[in-house]
Amino acid sequence: MRKKILFNAKSFLTILIFLFLMSDISFSQISNIVSAVRVGEAKEKTPLAISAELFTSENITSITIAYRLFGETEYKKLEMLLAGNGASVTIPSEFVQPPFIEYYLIINIRDGSTQTYPLEISQGGSPLQIPIGGVSQKDKEIIILSPNEGELLSINELLISISFIKASDDVDINKTKIFLNDIDITSTALIAGDLFIISGENVANQVGMGTKLLRVQVYDKHGNIYNTISRSFQTVSSQSAMDVASRWKYNGYIKGESRSESFNSASTWYNNVAAEFNTAYKQWNINASAYLTSEEKSTLQPYNRYSAIIQNGEWLDLRAGDVFPRFPSLIIDGKRVRGISGSLNFGVFNIQASYGETDREVEGSFQRDYANNILFYNSNNVPLGNDIIKIDQSKYGFPYASVNLGTYKRTLFALRPSFGSGENFQFGLSYLHSKDDAGSIEFGARPQENVVIGSDLMFAFDNQNILLTSQVAIDVLNKDISTGSLTDAQIDSVFGNNSNYNIDPKTVKNLRDIIGKFITVNQYLGPWNPQQFSSLAAEGALTLNYFNNSLKTSYIYRGNEFQSFGLSFLRTDVRGLNLVDRFRMLDNKLFVSLGYENLQDNLQNTKIATTTFQTISLSVSIFPRADFPNISLGFNQYNNNNGLSLSDSLKNRNAVYAVDDITDRISLQMSYDFTWRVKHNASISFSTSNRTDNSISHLDSKFNSGTLMLNSYWDPKISSLFALVYSSSSIKGIPFDYLTLTFGGRYKLLEDKLMLSLNLSPSFGDYNRQTFEFFADYNVMTNLNLMLQFRVFRIPNEATNSIVGLIARLSI
Amino acid sequence: MKAKTFLAVLIIPLLFGFASERNSLPGDTPIALVKKIILDVTYKKAGQSDWEVAKTGLPLMDKEQVKTGPKSLALILFTDGSGLLRVRENSILNIYGTPNNKKMDKNTVINKGSVQFEVNKQEDEEFKFTTPTAVASIRGTEGLFDVADNGESKMVLLTGTVELISKSGKKVTLTAGNTVIFDLAGDAKVYPSTDDDKKLLSQAKSLNTKKVKISTNSGEVDIEYFSDQK
Repeated sequence: MRKKILFNAKSFLTILIFLFLMSDISFSQISNIVSAVRVGEAKEKTPLAISAELFTSENITSITIAYRLFGETEYKKLEMLLAGNGASVTIPSEFVQPPFIEYYLIINIRDGSTQTYPLEISQGGSPLQIPIGGVSQKDKEIIILSPNEGELLSINELLISISFIKASDDVDINKTKIFLNDIDITSTALIAGDLFIISGENVANQVGMGTKLLRVQVYDKHGNIYNTISRSFQTVSSQSAMDVASRWKYNGYIKGESRSESFNSASTWYNNVAAEFNTAYKQWNINASAYLTSEEKSTLQPYNRYSAIIQNGEWLDLRAGDVFPRFPSLIIDGKRVRGISGSLNFGVFNIQASYGETDREVEGSFQRDYANNILFYNSNNVPLGNDIIKIDQSKYGFPYASVNLGTYKRTLFALRPSFGSGENFQFGLSYLHSKDDAGSIEFGARPQENVVIGSDLMFAFDNQNILLTSQVAIDVLNKDISTGSLTDAQIDSVFGNNSNYNIDPKTVKNLRDIIGKFITVNQYLGPWNPQQFSSLAAEGALTLNYFNNSLKTSYIYRGNEFQSFGLSFLRTDVRGLNLVDRFRMLDNKLFVSLGYENLQDNLQNTKIATTTFQTISLSVSIFPRADFPNISLGFNQYNNNNGLSLSDSLKNRNAVYAVDDITDRISLQMSYDFTWRVKHNASISFSTSNRTDNSISHLDSKFNSGTLMLNSYWDPKISSLFALVYSSSSIKGIPFDYLTLTFGGRYKLLEDKLMLSLNLSPSFGDYNRQTFEFFADYNVMTNLNLMLQFRVFRIPNEATNSIVGLIARLSI
Repeated sequence: MKAKTFLAVLIIPLLFGFASERNSLPGDTPIALVKKIILDVTYKKAGQSDWEVAKTGLPLMDKEQVKTGPKSLALILFTDGSGLLRVRENSILNIYGTPNNKKMDKNTVINKGSVQFEVNKQEDEEFKFTTPTAVASIRGTEGLFDVADNGESKMVLLTGTVELISKSGKKVTLTAGNTVIFDLAGDAKVYPSTDDDKKLLSQAKSLNTKKVKISTNSGEVDIEYFSDQK
C-alpha cells in the first residue's frame, strides 16, 4: 500500500523558494547503488571533476557518465574510474560551458542489466544539472603577479605582488584588503602606482611554514566588494625550497583499503591499493598511478588500473597502461585502451598514435541443463541459436554445444598525423584498425574487425572569434572474421560467367588482395550499401563570438551503419541541424541561452517512416557572485513525430510504429552563500517533466522532484548538513512518490587531527530505506592518515546491508 | 576663495598623510618587478650614473636598467602580467614601457648577455625585444635572446612565432624549434636549433643554485649563486 506523502509540489516549492545553496554541490537522488554525487567548481572552460559515492561497488562492472551541453539532445559519454567505493571522472574543459551541463550515470551491473542515476531516464526522467558560471572580466583585471599558483618557496623568497594596471576605473585601489590565511596583511603592503608589493620579510612573523591562501578583496569607489581573487601556495624552509628548485620535484601517495560488505547474510571482503607518484624536472613531468583490487578476476574485464605518463612541455605526451586517448570524436572518444598512446606536437606537423587492448579475452563456458548436463548437439539435431557454436569434436565428442559466449581479446591501433598547431589552423587525417583475436578464446562467436578512416579540419580567424570545424569518417566492418578471408576456390565458385555473380573472379581476387591488407574480406564485410553513405559520419560547426554573443551552428550526418570500435557509443542513423545562441550580459553575470535542434532518422530508408526529433531549449542563468543567489531557470521541449497515424489501429498495421510524443521540462536551481549568525551554504533545485505520448503504447509520464540542502559552519571545527529530496513521478498513471531526509555533522578534534562525520538518511513513501554512515579520519603523522568507514543501509522487510572499511593513506 | 585655499592647504597634506599610511611610493606605476635575485644584481635609474643594489620586490620604472654579475640571475615580471624574463649572468638590459588606458607597450633592450623570456599572448599590445642588430615583435611565445659582446644576436625559439627585423631592414619570421643569428651587418642566418642551442635555452630556464655558508662575527651568512655554466 502506497503511503501518502504529506508534501505536495506547490507547497514544497513555496518553502524552498526562500532557501539557499553551496559551492560543493552534492546531489542525492534515490538509488541503491549511488549514495551521492559530488561536483567540483563548475566554471567556464575549466575541467569539471565529478565523483560518485557508491553504497557498494559489488556487482558493478563499469560506470559511464553521459553528459550534454545546453541545446544538445545527444549525450557524450565517458567511462568513470572505479576505485573502492567511488567512481570519478573529469569532463574536459572545452565541454564546460554556461549555462549548464546535464548529466546522468549509466551503471552496468554484472548480470548484464543497466541502471541509471537518477532512475528512469529512459522513461523521460530528468537528468541532473550543473550550472556553469562564466569567467568574469573582473578576474582578468586584477592580476596576482606573484606568487604563482601552487608555488613552493621559502619565506625569504616570498614576494606578494598584485597589479591593478588593467583594473576598471570603478575600483578604489586604496580600499583593497589582502589576507593571508585569513590574517589581514594589508598594512604591510607597499603601493607603487597600480602595484601592491609585500615582501616576505614584512610578513615573516605572521607566516609560518605550510599551505597558504592569499585572498585579495577589491572594492569599488562606493565601498562595495568589486571582486575577490585568491591564490594558494606553500612556504617551506630555505633549504627545502632550494632542494625543490634544484632537484627532481616529486609527490605522491599510497593508499590501502580493506572493507567488508555484508549483503543480507552474504559477506564479502574487498581489498585494494591505490598509489600515485608525480615528479617533475625542468620541462619533464612524469606521473605514475596504479589501482589494484581484489575484485580483479580473469573471468571479467579488468578492474585493476595502471598508467604512466611522460610529458615535456607541449611537444611530447607519452602514456602507457590504461589510457583514454582523444582523437577526433568520430574516431576515438572516451574509450579505455590498455597499451601505449602518445603525441608529438611540433606545431607545423604533429603525430598522434595509440595501440593496445580495448577488451581482454574472457573465456566462455558450457551451458548446462537442469540436471547439470552440458548441452551438446550432434550435426543432425543442432538447433539454431546465437549461443550454439561449433566446438572441437575430437576433444568433446560432439560437434556443437550451447555456451555462454566469452569475449574476444580486441586490439586497437590508431594514427593521426596533423598539420598546424590548432591555434588558427589544423588539418588531420585519422586511421583506426581494431580486430578481435579469434584464437584468444575457445567459446566465442562472431569475432569482428573494423577499419575507420577520417579527416578533420579547423580554421580560426580573428583570435578564434570565428571558428570553423569539421570532420568526416567512414568505416568498414566485418561482423564475422572467424572463417578468414575468402579463398580463391570460394571466389571461383561464386563469381564468374556461370555463377551467381557475373563478375570476373580475377577482379574479385585483386580486390580481396588489396582490401585484405587492411581488413578480412569475406561475406560478412559491410556496408553493403556504401553508395547510400550508410557508413559515413560527418559533422561541421561554425562558431561566432561577437558582441557578448556566442552563436554556434552545427550539422551532423551519421549513416545507420557507421561504427568505430574507438567509441563506446554513438547515435547513428541521424542527420540535422543544431543552433545554440548564448548571450552574456552584465559582465557574465547573466546568461540567456536559446537552442533549437532538428534531427531526422531513416537516412538509408531502413524504417517504415522518418522520425523528426525537434528540441527547443531556453535558459536564463544569473551568477551575481555576491549577496544574491545564483539562479538558473531552464525550459526544454522535445517533440518527436514520424507522421504515422494511430487512427483505425486495428487495420492500420503501421500504427504500431507511430512515434508522436512531446516532453516539456522545466528546471530551477538556486544557490546561495549567506551568513545568519553563522556561515551557511544553501541550495535548492526543482524540476518538472511532463511527457504526452500519443503512440500506441501511450507511455505518458510525469516527474516532479525538488532538492534542498543546507550546510552550516557553526565554528571552524563543527559543521552540519541538512538535505531534503522530494520526488513524485507517474509512468502510465502509476505513481511513485518518496521523500528523503538527510541529517549530518562533521566535528574536528584533537587539534584537528581527528575528523568525525556522521550522516543519517531515511526515505519515506513508496521507497522506504534508511542509511547510516560514520566516517573517522585520523591524522597519525604529518603524512599518514587512517580512516574508518561504517555504512548501513536498510530496506525494511527486504534487506539490511553494511560496509565496514579501513583505509590507510601515506603521502610522500 | 581664501577659505577654499586654506581648506585645500589643509586637506592635501592630510590626503598625503593617509596615502603614506598605505606605504605609497611616489610616481607612476612600475613597468616591471624583480621577483627573484641570485647573487649580484644591480639597477640604474633613468638619468643616473650609479648602479644600485637590487632587492627582491624592486619595482622597475620606465627606462631603468638591470645588470647581472657573474653566476647571477634576476627574474623579472612585467606588471601587466604579460610575461617574465630570466636575465642570466653578465647581462645588461633596459626596460621601457608605456602604460596607456589599461594597456602597456613594452620594449626590452638587451645590450649584452642572455635573457630567457616567457611572454603570454598579447591582444593589442606590443611586446618587443631590441638588440644591437635586431628588433623582435613577440605575440606569445617562449625562447631566448643571447647578445654577444661584439653585438651579434641570437634568438632560439621554443614555441610560437616571432617576427624579427634586422638593423639592415631584413625581415625574418622565426618559428618554433629554429634559431636565427644576426651578424653585425644585420644579415640573418636561420637554421633548426642545434643541441647546443637547446642546451643553452634549457640552462637559461634553470634556476639551479648552490649555496655557501660563511661564518662571520655576526653569525652565518648564506650566499646563493647560480651554478650552471654557459
